[in-house]
Amino acid sequence: MRSDTEIRAQLRTFVRRHAGDVTDDTPLFTLRLLRSVHLPELIILLERLRGAPIDVEQLRMGDFDGIDAMMARFGSLP
Amino acid sequence: MTGLAELTGLGLRWETSGQAGLTGPLLALADGCDRAFRTIASRWHAQEEAYPMTLPAASLGGHLRSFPHQVTFAAALDPADANLAGFADGPVVDASGTVALTGTAPVTEVLTPAACHHVYRAHRGERLAQATYVTTRSTCFRRERQYEPLRRQWTFAMREIVCLGTAEETASFLDEACTMTDRFAGLVDVPVDWVAATDTFFRPDRHPGHLLQRIQAVKHEAVYGGSLALGSANLHHDHFGSAYDITRGGGRASTACLAFGLERWLYALVDRHGLDPAGWPDLDAAAMRAVAR
Repeated sequence: MRSDTEIRAQLRTFVRRHAGDVTDDTPLFTLRLLRSVHLPELIILLERLRGAPIDVEQLRMGDFDGIDAMMARFGSLP
Repeated sequence: MTGLAELTGLGLRWETSGQAGLTGPLLALADGCDRAFRTIASRWHAQEEAYPMTLPAASLGGHLRSFPHQVTFAAALDPADANLAGFADGPVVDASGTVALTGTAPVTEVLTPAACHHVYRAHRGERLAQATYVTTRSTCFRRERQYEPLRRQWTFAMREIVCLGTAEETASFLDEACTMTDRFAGLVDVPVDWVAATDTFFRPDRHPGHLLQRIQAVKHEAVYGGSLALGSANLHHDHFGSAYDITRGGGRASTACLAFGLERWLYALVDRHGLDPAGWPDLDAAAMRAVAR
């Protein structure tokens, strides 16, 4: 399991590779900078970084709409 | 809960394969529903388009991977004389009702899974100067584990209103489509709640389409009685615009659709208003009022 700082850094790397230079609060899916095809890879990355599975049936609207949103929902476990 | 016996008394001819024939009052009600939905479509001056019963499988590759459990293929015998003779001289159908197929011709067609698929394909390559609105009706085919008369069927009638335009135009269309549906449902006293929904993808846990539907509001269903989706409002972004090279405003067209399941509306109307057709609402008047406000 990584720290929140490490998770955020890796998320920024992933997002910038696919969506270009964005800020942490850019709504990535609302603006269509990331698309559905990116989601499986993004979930696998987050699962690896946080060291815990993500139950996709528990996903909520907006969970992936920005790095800040992803950190709030999937940051390192307490 | 309205039962099969009651629905049969109103004209339902139910096949245990999951298909419904309609006669008498239910057939008249179905005609009235479709007329009402076409009146709603007139709000956008939607052009009526009609399409065949099948789609080329080659145009549905993504759909086939996403919904293999629901697909129905159009199969035919290999036309070689010897093959046809082997079939005709054989049992043809066995005791269980299974066709004793001999060789089959290559399967290239899929029975329509959703009415709007035809629309995107038919508008392939178009450069739209303005938002385009289409309405179409198809008999649709979706295999299910279980069937319930008028509620969940292998074949069912779907009336759709489709918008092809910019992202703003499709978003505006969906807003108004939901409002229009609410008005109509209210006027015919069939209460519905709009809820975020997902399609029943095969292996959903890692399916991009399923995942997107969970985190973005791209599909909403108008649900009656807590469980029966009478219609759905769907935003496809530029999925079909890209697949079929349709452009609008200098970019890939966005598409959206409002879909009504006719048999489900029949169920809801009867469930809500009872078995006497004299007590059923005036659908034409309700639709006219819904679009006139």
